[in-house]
Amino acid sequence: MTESRPAGAGLVDERPEPGESVLEVRDLVKHYPVRSGLLRRSAAAVKAVDGVSLTLDRGRTLGLVGESGSGKSTLARVLVGVETPTSGQVLVDGEDVTGRSRAGRKQLRRDVQMVFQDPYTSLNPRMSVNEIVGEPFAIHGIDPAGGRRAAVGELLELVGLDPDHANRYPHQFSGGQRQRVGIARALALRPKILVCDEPVSALDVSVQGQVINLLEDLQEELGLSYLFVAHDLGVVRHIAHDVAVMYLGRIVEQGPEAEVYDAAQHPYTQALLSAVPVPDPSVRLVPAGGAVGASSSDGAVAGAGQPGVGGIVLEGDPPSPVDPPSGCPFHTRCWLAPTLPEARREAASADAVRGLRLIPQVCETDVPALVARGSADAGAAGAAAHVAACHFARELATPGTGA
Amino acid sequence: MSPASRMRTAAEGEGRGTRHSPGAERGEGEQRALLEVTDLAVEFRTPDGVVRAVDGLSYRVEAGRTLAIVGESGSGKSVSSLAVMGLLPDTARVARGSVRLAGTDLLTLSRKEHRARCGEQVAMVFQDALAALNPVHTVGFQLTEALRARRGLSRADARRRAVELLDLVKVPNAKARVKEYPHQFSGGMRQRVMIASALAMDPDVLIADEPTTALDVTVQAQVLRLLAEIQAERNMGLVLITHDLGVVAGVADDVTVMYAGRAVEQAPVVPVYTTPAHPYTRALLRSIPSAAGTGRLPVIPGRPPSPAAMPPGCPFHPRCDAARDICRTEVPPAAHPAEGRMSACHFASDIMAGREPAPEAGVTTSASGTSVPGPKGDPDD
Repeated sequence: MTESRPAGAGLVDERPEPGESVLEVRDLVKHYPVRSGLLRRSAAAVKAVDGVSLTLDRGRTLGLVGESGSGKSTLARVLVGVETPTSGQVLVDGEDVTGRSRAGRKQLRRDVQMVFQDPYTSLNPRMSVNEIVGEPFAIHGIDPAGGRRAAVGELLELVGLDPDHANRYPHQFSGGQRQRVGIARALALRPKILVCDEPVSALDVSVQGQVINLLEDLQEELGLSYLFVAHDLGVVRHIAHDVAVMYLGRIVEQGPEAEVYDAAQHPYTQALLSAVPVPDPSVRLVPAGGAVGASSSDGAVAGAGQPGVGGIVLEGDPPSPVDPPSGCPFHTRCWLAPTLPEARREAASADAVRGLRLIPQVCETDVPALVARGSADAGAAGAAAHVAACHFARELATPGTGA
Repeated sequence: MSPASRMRTAAEGEGRGTRHSPGAERGEGEQRALLEVTDLAVEFRTPDGVVRAVDGLSYRVEAGRTLAIVGESGSGKSVSSLAVMGLLPDTARVARGSVRLAGTDLLTLSRKEHRARCGEQVAMVFQDALAALNPVHTVGFQLTEALRARRGLSRADARRRAVELLDLVKVPNAKARVKEYPHQFSGGMRQRVMIASALAMDPDVLIADEPTTALDVTVQAQVLRLLAEIQAERNMGLVLITHDLGVVAGVADDVTVMYAGRAVEQAPVVPVYTTPAHPYTRALLRSIPSAAGTGRLPVIPGRPPSPAAMPPGCPFHPRCDAARDICRTEVPPAAHPAEGRMSACHFASDIMAGREPAPEAGVTTSASGTSVPGPKGDPDD
């Protein structure tokens, strides 16, 4: 029952460099102490990010998906320097920025900027747009050529806003326009990397597309790299080149967008994909015409916990990151593990039936490494390799469970 | 029968004996309406004058069926359901229309009677379960508050009923959990508690306003399934208010698409997706990022109009890619391009058939022209 660090975390770094990496994260850990008692001793830790390795290439977009509590936002905050990591390294352009002083972190922020989720709370209501977008210049003591005002005008133009509106205040703009203001502010210092934390989830569908298109245009124009954190798998699929799936502070699957979406290897990714409602009434989550009565509930019951008409529906909520499950963090909710022949074999030898859920012992004891499986690793030369952290990932290569 | 024509017959034939009688006559053939909203208009007093948030909305909710009301923020989808429940804020008033519940027009009742009626037969589930639950009372107490107040249940009976209710919504270990407080529940479990408390009075109609928007997809799927199961078991009418066209496709039977306070399209779920009859519906469907699309996302230029500055003619015309001269001047009447379908578009049949409306003399092809104060935007074309 030794909680070993997954071997795969190291392996990812050694794979051939597919392009020029602008951001590299090595074995990053961020724990928050939970203090208790009179002396506020650290009693436990919230393992928000628990050994994550990532590479972001220049001019590309890495999508980071996961449920709330998976640690994706914490990871984003560590990358922009808002949080300091417990351990691990963050390399920007090959240079380790984790051990930096205050001044060094300030320098980091010039290269890595953040776009926030909520365009209503991330802009100071007492500042005009001119002040908001120009603030990074003031903080970093930069006098852009042609003056601050002109620079702000250019930035506003870049994000599709009227420079004449620079004297207005945030409340005079719509949600989509505010998000453009937030993007203009993030671009002020000409960063290399934008960390976007749910940048469109607060916007209406019709406005969402406008902001996504803007981000794609800016990437092409300015050669930006994006780490795009979102829970909307459709949006991530559209914008990302590569996708990483997080669960309880770890990456459970990572690879090129098409491979992760069309040939997911990890049972969690498969469940996540199949839970996304599809805008197609022939793919029903529930049977049509509820009036048929009791018969319609059969389908729902039969579908629970296994691939079926409505896809895979996971039971329960993600476990607490204070006390993550041993072994594979997903084993408590895994739909696949109980169906494996290994589970049945071990059931015979198990002296007592603990609960009714029998899964292979290895899932409970060993942390699965994040490695390429099956045929997927053959084509690793070009794009980033498709890796998954599941002991039985090869069993999943069979299609048919996709959304 | 089209929803609109059904609406008409039901409105005329009030005396057709389609009285509410719980559990009786499960819907075969022609369904009776549990809840019927006709020509509802809601106005708000604002510093800028009176604005109309809902304008002429009609729909009906039938036993065992799910009606999805889809729209963006500000489209009036939530305000209309607050009006149905008698929960409008003091600055708002119902300007016209009727809300018939089991034959009684709720809007003719006093506010108190209205709420009492709704409390018995219509229940509502809100988006933000944490805000909707009282943090200082146990979940069990809140679940049965209505039962104790209205039915005079004893404490012991109320506790038993609370456990039953939590069991019903599949909260594990219900017996222990009724004694816990809302903050001890996860988001998904809190939403289950909300649903349980809505079911406490055994309502005929459940109005769920964005019930899964704050939840993760895996939990959203659980909650939607649960709602569907409960609905089927009780033959309940369900009104699902949402902005998510994926959720609508997955669970709805009928769809009402709202824009700027009006219903722009009403139809059964399948044709809405296969042959949308309103340009707004069509544009919304196109703007969803899909697996296939990797190029630029088709977008709707501009943004929804402010209710204080509604454009003349069709409210969608400044953003519409099929707008013609008539759209700028005349409010489109409800058209019925096919059996069971309504579209508030001058060119509903053309749009439904996938044809471009015939061009008019002297019309510029670009639709944007009039006052769209939106971002200097990137229309897809």
